[in-house]
Parts: sequence; structure tokens; C-alpha cells
Amino acid sequence: MGNLLEIELKQETLAAPAQAKEGQTFLSGAQAMMECLLAESVDNIFGYPGGAIMPTYDALYDYIDRIKHTLVRHEQGAGHAAQGYARVSGRTGVCLVTSGPGGTNLITPIADAIIDCTPMVCIVGQVKSNLLGTDAFQETDMIGVTTPVCKWNYQITDPDEVPEIMAKAFFIAKSGKPGPVVIDFARDAQAAKMTKPFVYKKVEKMVSYSPRVVPKQDQIEKAAELINKAKRPYILFGHGVLIADAVQELLDFVEKTDIPCASTLLGLSAMPNNHSNYMGWLGMHGMYAPNVMTDECDVLIAIGMRFDDRVTGDSTKFAKQARIVHIEIDPSEVDKIKKAEAPVIGDAKEALKMLMPLVKKGDFTGWKNEFRKLDVKEYDKVTLRDLGQEGKIKMAEVVALLSDKTNGEACIVVDVGQHQMVTARYYQFKKANSFIASGGLGTMGFAIPASFGAKVGAPDREVVGIIGDGCFQMTIQELGTIAQSGLAVKMIILNNNFLGMVRQWQQLFFDNRYSFVELQNPDFITIARGFGIDGHTCTERENLSNSLDKMLDSKKAYLLEVIVEKEENVFPMVPAGTSVSEIRLE
Amino acid sequence: MTTYTICVFTENSIGLLNKITIIFTRRRINIESLTVSETERKGISRFTIVIKHEKREEVEKLVRQIRKIIEVLAVFGYLNEDIVYNEIALFKISTPLNGKSVDVETINKVYKAWVVYWGLDYVVIEKTGTETEIFEFFKYIKPHGIIEFVRSGRVAVGKTPQGLIEYLPEEITEWEYYL
Repeated sequence: MGNLLEIELKQETLAAPAQAKEGQTFLSGAQAMMECLLAESVDNIFGYPGGAIMPTYDALYDYIDRIKHTLVRHEQGAGHAAQGYARVSGRTGVCLVTSGPGGTNLITPIADAIIDCTPMVCIVGQVKSNLLGTDAFQETDMIGVTTPVCKWNYQITDPDEVPEIMAKAFFIAKSGKPGPVVIDFARDAQAAKMTKPFVYKKVEKMVSYSPRVVPKQDQIEKAAELINKAKRPYILFGHGVLIADAVQELLDFVEKTDIPCASTLLGLSAMPNNHSNYMGWLGMHGMYAPNVMTDECDVLIAIGMRFDDRVTGDSTKFAKQARIVHIEIDPSEVDKIKKAEAPVIGDAKEALKMLMPLVKKGDFTGWKNEFRKLDVKEYDKVTLRDLGQEGKIKMAEVVALLSDKTNGEACIVVDVGQHQMVTARYYQFKKANSFIASGGLGTMGFAIPASFGAKVGAPDREVVGIIGDGCFQMTIQELGTIAQSGLAVKMIILNNNFLGMVRQWQQLFFDNRYSFVELQNPDFITIARGFGIDGHTCTERENLSNSLDKMLDSKKAYLLEVIVEKEENVFPMVPAGTSVSEIRLE
Repeated sequence: MTTYTICVFTENSIGLLNKITIIFTRRRINIESLTVSETERKGISRFTIVIKHEKREEVEKLVRQIRKIIEVLAVFGYLNEDIVYNEIALFKISTPLNGKSVDVETINKVYKAWVVYWGLDYVVIEKTGTETEIFEFFKYIKPHGIIEFVRSGRVAVGKTPQGLIEYLPEEITEWEYYL
């Protein structure tokens, strides 16, 4: 026992903040944190104060002219806002929250960010280091809790660690396959002074982490050979193209080779929708031709996408006949779902640049026409019905009209469900980074906070959140954040009084047994007004155009509620776990 | 089921064991044994993890997922024939005054095991070997009465002439994993 006590005593001495020499004053851990944010050119953060993060909030008070802080109403909002900000701007989103519930409320956005590869640095307060493990007030083991869902985490217990760890944090979050990093910042490390002057060195490489950006030449050559031999090549591009800022490179590549291409849900807006080689997007509720043609191509060129099950359906049957070129920055994604004959490990931008001189100029008019023929079928069976001017307003009409009115240039933030799929189908994107959705995790409640995050990241763009009535109520409190920050975020509720997607599944696969999917909704407009946000409800088709104009013309935040058809289904649909050949159009 | 030995080289940081084991838990793969120690290079730890799996492909994916952890430097996956491996076991055997005496010569010569501690009415025998060898000895010594038995996790070195540590860069170079 004697020994054990001795060890404990030693730890306490170690944990005690080191004192600066007399007369010398260095930055506190919290001030150092602010300096780190400045060094990383962070000018906007999202957060919520509380006990264990107070020294950092106190330091922030001296930096408010350089670091703008948006006060959310719930930490989940801070996380999704940071995601929206990161997705629209390509920069790392930063959130600042307290320990315990502050941190646990952030888990959903962290899990969302890891699966959708969003760069995010989450600074979470923690109890004093001598209280760690004692079940202190608002103590949660954030390292333990976040390990499965973050790219990296670290607990700072010494102010001297701050610059080095933060430099690593920003490097890890943004490089390679981006993701969330959690910094668990003990309260005593925030308050204590550093024992040395603050020096910030940006990290550009780490011994244990150096993702390959430039692909190997032999992989490029093999890929080029496969592409050049193809008679019916087909490009599937994903979020990786947007993350790598490879929009122009993709366009050049597609225009030189004339290969038809389709997007994944998160790849949307990486290619202008009106491009003659763009065939639409694929996936469970994607378009007919892009889905079906995965069974017809001979070479599939996957760029920055990971063959998610919502893309492939039954992956064993997906594109079975095709030889696969897979351009991907994360080596663990290659061969994970689909075996790639020519894997290219590297950044999409670099890979496409290197491929350009090696690929032949092509003409695939005939092959592209096969897609177009199928489009006609989809138009007749699905699009005409979706846009039909009969009965109640349909979701598709609202989105199509919004698309026209904003000239396809708005930044669209969607929540999760039917409205998300309809928006992906009917908005005609012309500008990159214009579709922000929770794809991998499917987080309802994503859109309100992600919308204002996106508006902060792109203040000059028109940001429109398209949100379901169910989703809206999951983060409805963030209307307060929008009102307080004065951001001109536009929101449309497509209200069908149902959890529409679940209802659709219950109708199609559970024998019409509508189990807990009908909602008794509040008066959304009254609620918005209560928060200080103006809005109105549109129930009639003849008012829809004016309603959208009124919303778009507003110089302030605005909520438009559109009452839409209650029991509308989204088609095409590849039922979960089936192959694309079983796609349903009705 | 095939036995795979996975060697993971990591930086020595807190919480890394958890980061590695949850990769197995999430895929419902049971860890048969796990050993961690510092390597010949300071600050670098070596994990030796033994698992049984039916599909080589899945083990390859597992190896890549482990490699993805930030602090992990390199991961190697091996079949039994690729490595020299051993475990160590300690047996506490009762030797009462009027009981059957322990045949030290057989223990030494046949089983390559050693008595490492003589107690008043027990001995502690150390046996190093593969799992099979240890259990053969276990069967032999069982009639004497095993008071306590403990077996370590596997340690293994590759059969390649160069050391695995040579794959680890001094500075930054390309990292490879292989199986």
C-alpha cells in the first residue's frame, strides 16, 4: 500500500500546473488556445459555455473582434453548424462546448462528421485533471465516449501541450480523409499559465500519419490503361471530388474522355446538372438511368466515393460485370465493399490531373444515348407524376420552382427523409458545394443548424434549408440562434404531417401498418415569430410562386411552410438489400 | 477457422489499447490473446494480437482499419507458418510432503520446462512453447494437482531475415501494411 500512495502523490505533483519563473508571464492554456485558432485562421466558431470550459470562454472575451462566436441553443446545433460551415467553405469547423452533457450532446454531430468526412475540431471542456476519474460534477470520459466516432482525440492536461496538440488537431481534421477531432481540455490546463513562450508551428506531416496525396505513377498508368480500353465506361463521383476541390479537374477529365458520369448523394453539385455528360445521381432514391446503367458498363471509374450500401443496394450484385477503377484517398476503403482492379490511392484532384495526359479523347455519344433513353422512361413514370399540377402541392414542385427562382445557384441544406431525396432529384445544381446533407448517418435535425453554419461560411450566398416537419422539430430551438445572430437563412418546411419516409416504407414493406408516423404538429409560423423570425404558410398551388418570392426577397431570416400532399411516395426506389435491377418506378 | 497473428506498432500513448480493441469489437471478432510491450525502438510499442477468423479478406480489412488509427505506425498480419511464436505459462503444482514427487528430469528433458520457484509444499514451473506444447505439459502435470495455471499471450517474430522495425521509418516515408 505504501507504494501505491507514493505513486498517487507523484501524479498529483505532475498534474499540478507548472509555475512560471518569477516576473515572467506566459499565456494561459485558454489564451494559448485562442492564439492557436488565430494561427489556423479560424474566424468563426460555434459553441455553448458551461462550467468546465469557462476559462476558455473568458479568454475568448478578449478575442471577440477576431474570432466570431455563434451562441447556439444546444450543443448538437454547434456541431451541425460547424459541419455546415465546413461543407460550404472547405474550411475546418470549430466548436467549443463544456464537459459532461456539453460533450455528449456533441456526439451525434461527431458521428455524422466522421461518416461524411467533414473536417471539424471540437474543443470540449473537462473537469480539473486531479478530479479525473472521480465522477466529478459534469465529468464524462469524453476520450472513451468519442473514440469510436472520431478521427482523433486527445486530452490536454498541461497548458504547454496546447500549441503542439492543436497544430496536430487541425492537420488531422483537414488532411487525408477529413474528419472530426476531439480535444478534451481539462479546466486546470485552461486556467494555468504556460511555462514557456507560445510558439505555434503548423503541422504538415506526422510520423504516424501521412496520408498519400499524390498517387503512385504505376497505379495511374494501370487505371489509364483500363479507362482507355473501355467501350462502355461510366464515372461515379462522390463527396471526395468536392473535398479535394477537384471540380474543375473532374470537368476537364469528363470533357476530354466524353465518359458519362453520375454522382452519389453527397457528390451532388460537383458537376453542373445541365452538363451533357452528367446523367444524374444514383442510389436508393436516385435516378433511374444512373442506377440501372451500373449493370451495363464495362469499366466503372469510382472517384472519391466509397460504395455505400445506399448506393450499391446488394453490393454482391452491384456492377458485377464491370472492371473497377477506384480513386480514393483512404486505403481502407479500397476493396472494402467492391474489389478494385485498378485502385488509385491519393487525392482526387492530383489523381485526375495525373490521369489527364494519359487518357484518350473519346466519343461516347451512342453509349450516352442509352442513358437518355432510360431517362424518358423515368420522366413518363415518375417526373410527370411528381410535378403534376393536380391535388395538393407536391414536394417536387416546390423544389423545382425554387431551383428556377434561384437559378440553381443557391446553397441547399436538407434534412433527412423524403424531402431530402426530392430535393436531390429536382434541384438543378449549377455551383459546387451547394448541397449539404447528412448522408452517411442520416441525422434528422441536421438542417436548421447546418443552414446557419453554411450561411456563416458563405455569407454572400443564398442559403436555403429544405426541411421536413419531423426534422424541424428535432432542432427547432436553433431558430433562436438564427434570430440572435441576424443571419438571413431561408427555411422551407415541406409539411406532410408525417414522418414521410418511414411511412412510405410502412406502406410498401410493412403492409400499410402506420406505426407512429403521424405527427401532431405545432403552428410553425407562430413558433418562428415567437423567436423573432418572420414567415408564412402556403397551402394553395396558385400562391406557391409568390410565397417563394416573398421568402427569397426577405433580407432577414424567413420561414416558409408549404403544406404538401400527405401520402406521397418517392420513386425510383431500390429497396434496401436488393440489386439495382429490382428498382421500382411506382 | 484460421489463426492470424496481427502485429501492431504504435506510438506509446494513453488510450491506444482501447482504440485498437474497439476495431475488433465493432466487427464482432474475439481477441484470443493480446500482448503489449515496448520495442527495441524507444517510444514505440508492439501489440501482438491473436484472432481466429474464417475469411482472410475480412482480416485484411481489419488490418487496414487498425492502420487507420492515427497513432498506429504499421500493422502486419501473419499466418502461423510465417512466424516463430511462443507463449509462456506458469504452473503452481502442489508437492505435499507425503505426496508423489515431481519428476524434474522428465520435466526438464522431455517437456523443456523449468522449476523456477520452490515453495514449502508447492513448486512453480515455467513452460515456454506453443499453445499445443503448453497443453501437452498441462496434461502431463495435471495429476499432481494444479493449484494455479496462467498462460501469457502470444509473442511472435516474423520469419523474414530483417526485423519488422526496419519497416518503420526514422522520419516520414511511405507506410505500408501487408498481410
